[in-house]
Amino acid sequence: MTLKNRLLRVTHLLFAILLLVQLLPDRSSNDVHTGALIAFAVGLEILTLAGSFLTKKKESLSLLLDIVGFIFAILTVWSLATTKFDLLNPLLFPAPGKVFAQFAEDREKIFINIRSSLGITVKGFVLASAVAVPLGLFLGWNARLGGAATYISKFFSSIPPIVYIPYGIALLPTFRSVSVFVIFLATFWPVFAGTMSGVMHVDQRIIDSAKVLNVPKPEMLFSVILPASLPQIFLGCNQGLSVSFILLTSAEMIGARDGMGYYVKYYSDFGDYTRTITGLLVIGIVVIAVTFLFNQLQKRLLKWKH
Amino acid sequence: MTANKIEISHLSVNYTERGRQFNALHDVSFGVGTGEFVSVIGASGCGKSTLLSVLEGLYQAAEGSVTINGTPLHGTGRERGVVFQHYSLFPWMTTRSNIAFGIKQARHELSRRERYQIADEFLGKVGLEGFGKKYPSQLSGGMQQRAAIARALAMNTDILLMDEPFSAIDAKNRVILQELLLSLWEGDSPEHRKTVVFVTHDIDEAILLSDKIVVLTAHPGTVNEIVRVPFDRPRNRAELIKTDEYGKFRNRLLSLLYQDVANRIGGEEVVI
Repeated sequence: MTLKNRLLRVTHLLFAILLLVQLLPDRSSNDVHTGALIAFAVGLEILTLAGSFLTKKKESLSLLLDIVGFIFAILTVWSLATTKFDLLNPLLFPAPGKVFAQFAEDREKIFINIRSSLGITVKGFVLASAVAVPLGLFLGWNARLGGAATYISKFFSSIPPIVYIPYGIALLPTFRSVSVFVIFLATFWPVFAGTMSGVMHVDQRIIDSAKVLNVPKPEMLFSVILPASLPQIFLGCNQGLSVSFILLTSAEMIGARDGMGYYVKYYSDFGDYTRTITGLLVIGIVVIAVTFLFNQLQKRLLKWKH
Repeated sequence: MTANKIEISHLSVNYTERGRQFNALHDVSFGVGTGEFVSVIGASGCGKSTLLSVLEGLYQAAEGSVTINGTPLHGTGRERGVVFQHYSLFPWMTTRSNIAFGIKQARHELSRRERYQIADEFLGKVGLEGFGKKYPSQLSGGMQQRAAIARALAMNTDILLMDEPFSAIDAKNRVILQELLLSLWEGDSPEHRKTVVFVTHDIDEAILLSDKIVVLTAHPGTVNEIVRVPFDRPRNRAELIKTDEYGKFRNRLLSLLYQDVANRIGGEEVVI
């Protein structure tokens, strides 16, 4: 790619527009923290420029620039609607700079909450996968047990896991353990069902190929059946992961003392919508980051599949 | 008479499909000598692949017996290597790992390093050097079959069972693969050659490669005739097909194959 290709992009024009808009007089009488907005925009622009030079593929460069361009455009509109023309209720719609300033101010609190939420999710998710995959392999491989187990898992996975919460509260001592329990259930059934269906649908020709190689039984299960079912296992994991976040944040809004869902609910109860929006954005970013990392793992393990 | 490596006697196989029972093979008997290359040909549905499944140990015969080195066949075995038409290789392993994995199953005594060394050596033999790190999905069908052959050979089994290994390959590459297999097999000195049972529906392929051809008739699959291929080795396709003997021999095989079809057209049922 030529330098021109890398640098002459609409995204940078949108960045300039966002900065120019900040030169307009403020109509809003509230504290709008324009400095925080500019700091964020400049930081993002620097990262984007660095990314423009590091990216090798044309498509991923365009994607990066498009996404950042969108963010700049949204920030421009947001800032015009609030700070510059005061079109919206300032209590419900804080200026963008205010949200960034709030994030900077609350960052320690926010990190503690993220850590709490992620800790619960990871624990429940990993525990569920660690039980569901071997069990699914074993039951799926024993076709007779597998047939019955398919129906059982269909029944249990049809129960929305959120309804386990009251029972979990009766069963377990702390909010954390209830959350881990619910996420465990939310992940367990899709991963278990995915593994079983993966095992039961392994191409007979692959199994024959392994049989004529005289692969011993344990190796058959872990070197042949497991990798052959991996695509379906990942389908289950993805489903479990996305349900887990919904559940966890909902649960945190009901009864937690920390966590991202708690942060959002707590401050919205006080009418602090700056913090509410800050929390929403942070949750979005965290979920995207976790999903991205998980997808990278999946890509790596399934790179044989095209 | 020296004992055959593989002895098939009075073999019958029944198939159940949608509740109906078929007699896939009926009273099939023939022997395969040590170091002999035997092809089994026949129209589709004649049970030739079923016969190979029995030899592979994947399918149980209803009657009759198969012995290998004099002992009755029981399930799959370490002395037999197999190349299928599809999915001989595991899609999640690189070509190299696929071969090394096969070697591991057949030859426990080798270390990991030795296994990969042998894998690379055989990749070279089938003309796939530099493709060891590729996954099967990144290779063409012909290259996948090369790798499958490399694995079967690297496992160094006495017996090689090949179930229409080149049927899914385009005509040009099929010829190349046949010649590769021929040169690899003939490359061993006669006393070290592997015993091969090769299933195909391609007459030219069978003539080029085999010492002996077993012609099956369909419904139920029975042995029509066993024909010895009268051409000296090493063989050269280009020269061989020019000779009159080749044409005559080919016609004879064709008539054996179509005699079956003709009989059935004269009868009640025609299956094409």
